[in-house]
Amino acid sequence: MSKRRESGGANRRNFLKGAGLVGAAAAVVPPVAANAMPAAPLEKAKVGLPGPKQVAAETLPPSGDPVNQTSSGGDFMTDVINSLGVEYMFINCASSYRGLHEAIINHGNNKPEIITCVHEDIAVHMAQGYAKMAGKPAAMACHGVVGLQHATMAMYNAWCDRVPVLVFGGNIMEADKRAPGAEWLHSGVDIGQIVREFTKWDDQPASLQHFAESTARAYKIATTAPMGPVFIALDAELQENPIPEGVNLQIPKFSPVVPPQGDPAAIAEAAKMLVNAQNPLIVCDRVARTPAGMANLVALAEALQCGVIDNAGRMNFPSRHPLNQSFRRGLIGQADVILAMEMNDLWGTLTHFSDRIERRSKPAYKKDTKIVTLGTRDLFQKSNYQDFGRWQDVDLDIAGDAEASLPALTEAVKRLTDDGRKAAFADRGQKLAKAHLAMVEQSKTDATIGWDSSPITTARMCAEVYDAIKNEDWSVVGTAIRLNWMHRLWDFNKPYQWNGGSGGAGIGYNLPASLGAALANKKAGRFTVAFGGDGDFMFNPGTLWTAAHHKIPMLYIIHNNRAYHQEYMYLVAMAARHGRGVEKMDIGTTIKDPNIDYATVARGMGVHGEGPITDPKDLAPALQRAVQVVKSGETAVVDVVTDPR
Amino acid sequence: MIRNKRIAAAVFGVAAFCAGAFAVAQAQDAPPTGDAAKGKKIFLTIGCFTCHGRSGQGGAYNGPAPILAHTMLPFDGFKGQIRNPADDMPAFSTAVLSDQDVADIYAFVETLPGAGSAKDHPILNN
Repeated sequence: MSKRRESGGANRRNFLKGAGLVGAAAAVVPPVAANAMPAAPLEKAKVGLPGPKQVAAETLPPSGDPVNQTSSGGDFMTDVINSLGVEYMFINCASSYRGLHEAIINHGNNKPEIITCVHEDIAVHMAQGYAKMAGKPAAMACHGVVGLQHATMAMYNAWCDRVPVLVFGGNIMEADKRAPGAEWLHSGVDIGQIVREFTKWDDQPASLQHFAESTARAYKIATTAPMGPVFIALDAELQENPIPEGVNLQIPKFSPVVPPQGDPAAIAEAAKMLVNAQNPLIVCDRVARTPAGMANLVALAEALQCGVIDNAGRMNFPSRHPLNQSFRRGLIGQADVILAMEMNDLWGTLTHFSDRIERRSKPAYKKDTKIVTLGTRDLFQKSNYQDFGRWQDVDLDIAGDAEASLPALTEAVKRLTDDGRKAAFADRGQKLAKAHLAMVEQSKTDATIGWDSSPITTARMCAEVYDAIKNEDWSVVGTAIRLNWMHRLWDFNKPYQWNGGSGGAGIGYNLPASLGAALANKKAGRFTVAFGGDGDFMFNPGTLWTAAHHKIPMLYIIHNNRAYHQEYMYLVAMAARHGRGVEKMDIGTTIKDPNIDYATVARGMGVHGEGPITDPKDLAPALQRAVQVVKSGETAVVDVVTDPR
Repeated sequence: MIRNKRIAAAVFGVAAFCAGAFAVAQAQDAPPTGDAAKGKKIFLTIGCFTCHGRSGQGGAYNGPAPILAHTMLPFDGFKGQIRNPADDMPAFSTAVLSDQDVADIYAFVETLPGAGSAKDHPILNN
């Protein structure tokens, strides 16, 4: 690169730098032309006397710098990104990557397709939601300093959710190439440092070939379990300037990493423990990585006829499967062997924790329970952010991708299951099926309480939404905090009908991530529905403009309890602990006075809005109208004023 | 070991407290008569509804918050849970909630209709 600059200097910044120097000199020594017009009338002066820079520019001979080019580094970068099969680039436009932006539009013919977002947090969250539904990463681009700082919360969510996102941030590496002002403010020595603690890998390529290889490497690292976001700094000079003559650029040949299976001997040992157990239990969180994941888990559970507690980090297990015991956590205390797979928080799942003055905890499982883990999460950790959770003692810890390892584990279980065990398994399965059925019936009964109340109960809201969409090929891609009525009442039985939560519990995820998933679903012809809280909505309402602009269909239900409700409850607990002022805890925790009219906000962004709906009888007609809007290819927002939980 | 001892001591303490509370409850007079209208106001003011729902339908705090509608808990058990809850529920002392307030809340939740039949709501049977 330095050679190129020495020989040519054929770039915009050299030209600007020259102009700047001339202008500075002109300010010290008044130019002749300026002195020639001292008596100009005031009115004329208002319409614009030529300033010293303009005078200098007009009176100096041409610099000789080239002003056009026939190749661009951005074109090559576009080819590299497209070679990886990246379909979308979610962006908030920024001058530090204008070279790539222009190249994608004109050289790539808008491939990857640019999705315009009004905030970087929206862009990354959309990429996160998209990746979980599409099964492959998308790209995101932003200013390397100011945009990347906006993007950080969403990148942290993607990190905690173990979701691959390719983040590109523009930068101007060489100080002498930066124009005065914003280009200095928007440049950094090591911009990857901003996000290094919650990305799997980052680089700042110094040549186009370096970019190609690092981008392919970033993609590979992002999509290798445990997955996660990666970051590439884009030098503006590399993007914008001509490809140096004589350079033989190569687009890397990419081949994905085959997910690792658990060690065969360890898998055999786990199978032995499970088959010999009286009450084995499966707990899982992010097992299903592809559509095959759910089927693989069903096969193991059915082979064992054991219960499954699904933490719902992905679409792991059908909600109405007789072995689904997700709302019977007491089974943890009865299990003699627990198989925990791809767990986000194993200790938290297996522990009773007391959020009181003394924060005590005790295991939820029996003292002699054997715990087997299978997953990839521990294969890559960082130290600062504590998302790895508390240490959990285990008896057999198998490193391996759970989805990839499940067929071998299931086969091993089947091989070890003799007729005697089969009979015992069948008996166990029947009992679990009966309990599952009772659980479903109990949920339906519980849902009737407050059926006609206003504000509307969350159970009624979820039941009405299901009734409105049940005949569509639906996919629910978002939920509010603690809202699990869908999993209690709905029949989830397809791999794309759920995609988990935010990961990092960072507010602002639901609306944009749901829209990203809706973009993936649009291609598959699915009907996307999502729930989200009002507090979450207000972090990124501009997402709706993107929905309208790009015509992405989605039914978005606002669970509007007019509060940051989890915090409201925590504050009540604090006041009660201190024996004072429990009636004042709406201060700083509620979103009322004035109430926000979300339907009007939606319409202002160009999408359909219904509500605020306070009478449950008005829900079904509003939902029917909204469903028709979504089926016509647009987004509809339904604001449901609800009870808190 | 020290931690285990502390936990064991705590478990013993809770058990002892429960036994004591039971004895006290046995000795108590009839519970104060509650006023359901006042109870509703208190229920909505001090934050009971935030976890248990305005209809007492239950909800969630750190974990599930139980259904209160048409409660089957005896008054002493109800009051005991408020004063010294068994889980993460905030403990409401007499400084913020008098015994009469508790009785009023109890009267209110007793008036709340409990669960109906899911069969009466066809959309629950999809």
